Amino acid sequence: MTTKTATGRGWVPHAVMIPLAIVSIFPVWWMFVTSLRPENDIYSSLPWPGSPTLDNYTYAMDSIAVWPMLRNTAIYAVTSTLAQMLTAVLAAWAFVRWRFPLDKLLFALIALTWLVPFQVVMIPNYILVSRLGLVDNLLALLLPNMVSAFAILLLVQSMRSFPTEVIEAAEMDGAGHWRVLWRVVVPNLRAPLAALAILLFISTWNDYFWPLLLTRSENSTVIQIGIQMFLTEEGNQWGPLMAISSLACLPVLAIYIALQRQVIDSFVKAGMR
Amino acid sequence: MKTVRHLLLGAIAAALPFPAFAQMAPAIEEPVTIRFYNYNLASAGLGREGTLEMLGTFAEANPLINVEGVPVPSSEVMSRVQADVIAGQGPDIAQIIFADLGYLVENFGVPALDDIAPAEELDEHLSGMFPRGIELARVDGDLYGLAYVFSTPVLFYNADLFIEAGLDPDQPPRTWEDVSAAAIAIHEATGNPGLLTGIFGPSAYDWLYQGFLRSNGGRVMSEDRGTMMFAEPEAVEALATLRAIAQAGAMPLVPSSSAIEAMSSGNAGMYLQTSAVQGALLRGAEGNFDLRAAPMPTFGDQQATPTNSGSALVIMTQDPVRQRAAWELMQHLTSDYGYTVITSQIGYVPLRQNAVTSEEYLAPFLRANPVVQPNIDQLDSLVPWVPLPGPSYRQILTVMMNASEQAVFGADDNIETILADAQSRAQSLVPR
Repeated sequence: MTTKTATGRGWVPHAVMIPLAIVSIFPVWWMFVTSLRPENDIYSSLPWPGSPTLDNYTYAMDSIAVWPMLRNTAIYAVTSTLAQMLTAVLAAWAFVRWRFPLDKLLFALIALTWLVPFQVVMIPNYILVSRLGLVDNLLALLLPNMVSAFAILLLVQSMRSFPTEVIEAAEMDGAGHWRVLWRVVVPNLRAPLAALAILLFISTWNDYFWPLLLTRSENSTVIQIGIQMFLTEEGNQWGPLMAISSLACLPVLAIYIALQRQVIDSFVKAGMR
Repeated sequence: MKTVRHLLLGAIAAALPFPAFAQMAPAIEEPVTIRFYNYNLASAGLGREGTLEMLGTFAEANPLINVEGVPVPSSEVMSRVQADVIAGQGPDIAQIIFADLGYLVENFGVPALDDIAPAEELDEHLSGMFPRGIELARVDGDLYGLAYVFSTPVLFYNADLFIEAGLDPDQPPRTWEDVSAAAIAIHEATGNPGLLTGIFGPSAYDWLYQGFLRSNGGRVMSEDRGTMMFAEPEAVEALATLRAIAQAGAMPLVPSSSAIEAMSSGNAGMYLQTSAVQGALLRGAEGNFDLRAAPMPTFGDQQATPTNSGSALVIMTQDPVRQRAAWELMQHLTSDYGYTVITSQIGYVPLRQNAVTSEEYLAPFLRANPVVQPNIDQLDSLVPWVPLPGPSYRQILTVMMNASEQAVFGADDNIETILADAQSRAQSLVPR
């Protein structure tokens, strides 16, 4: 009887999760399928391409500088993510381990900047980088994106819940703050750091307005601008649009798959807390 | 972005010197680089390729002028221009959508072509253009640019659905009464929408709406752009025609991109939209259904007055040498050669009579592609898409188009009240 009940209960989550998974996967599937459809079959409602073709990929690559755009996006996303992670770890560690004058005010101010949309500060940032002569330069894309208030807040929460006994034990063994941070705390925060890395990476990878304002040519811009180039006044080119979107998704999917376990761990632990 | 734009207006006004305009330099004697904002360059495909070709031939003919073509999506041109003007990196010449032209002229100290271009050169260049085309870039009497890539509204129709509904595809609807009857017949016979239009939806602007109202003797505002008039009886009557079709279930409210898709996939009977979408529709129709086109419908015996979609080239620089370089580029892009590329490769309307008739330019192409001809024929009755007034022109646009949408698709039958209320709100946004 117990076995029957357990089995019955086991089906309930699956009954909920399977339809949810299908709903989540369907748009991605439809994107890949549409990217493989020939032009005169682009509006077909069949869930697979009738006569699969790579023409849309060829056309997209011939029409715009796909590889330079993907390279620029990757450099921008990776460096921005690493910079934000580094600054967030150091800032969070400072807020968690030290009491200093106006620390709470400073923390509140950082938290408040999270509420200011980037569009509001975009023009002052733009004027600044243009005066520095950095327009149409990858460095200018990166500069205002080296610190993330969201990342600091998230890591402060994670570090606050880190067992102080472990830190004190390390300090008793003679480890300084720097050593405690990098040898004790950070290795044990792999799950939240992985989740944060993915969120930051995706956010930068999908960035549109800042590169739109800053870049001047195809070879210096990012893939999101390239995707937009297939949405035109004269009608959208769905086949190439889906092809380029599929290519743009692959790195994000790969990173998610690589860090999947840490992300799930992080969310599970966050839920338990 | 809209909010940012308005916040920046004061800064722009302070940053611009608004000088008295002197004429441009007589010639280019030293190498000069000009920045050209262009939205065709921001799209993949024919628009970009055609533009690059024209810039290439210009570079060959003008070795002292280097043109830095900056791709900017059409929806972002104004935001980008404003940000760059403040940063001291504004464009020397820009492709500006007609809806934004009034705002640009009123707030950016844009020089009028009449003031900066030598009169004889300007007259000579304009002499070969369709007179109504020249008027498109005139604001309050002054010429601020030259119409560049633009189109007129065309009634696309699916001949297969016409046959299925018992209609004759060789006799396309001529009047709005014909359109209404055909739309309802198609909907009843096939279950598909009988009519879709580019009038409504978030990215529609008001270019087609202006032409639609003017075809029935109405207009959205007075000639001096000081009084909103979109609640006059002619406008009410015109929208009542569309409401009747919508009420019969033959015209659903769909955004522009969905309408193109519905028409391209053969799931709509008729589609009133800019001829610029012709390429996209033909790609969908190929091998699937028979796509045809007819001129913009009339109200009874009145003549249809199509308006234009599209953009103008505007010189923005104050520097006489750069103005000369930009003027040379402007002439090249709107020459017989330029319009040959624009029409045959990008798909817009040629604005030069000689380009249309000359065997050297477009005549062979037009013989091979008769579908372009209704567009050219409509140039004789073309009325300009007039920019809405003042710095709040986008809000006026939203108020007006939301009301027109509500009047056609809303639950309330009282079109007069809906439009009068919106007109009153829009009028309060017009500068006194």
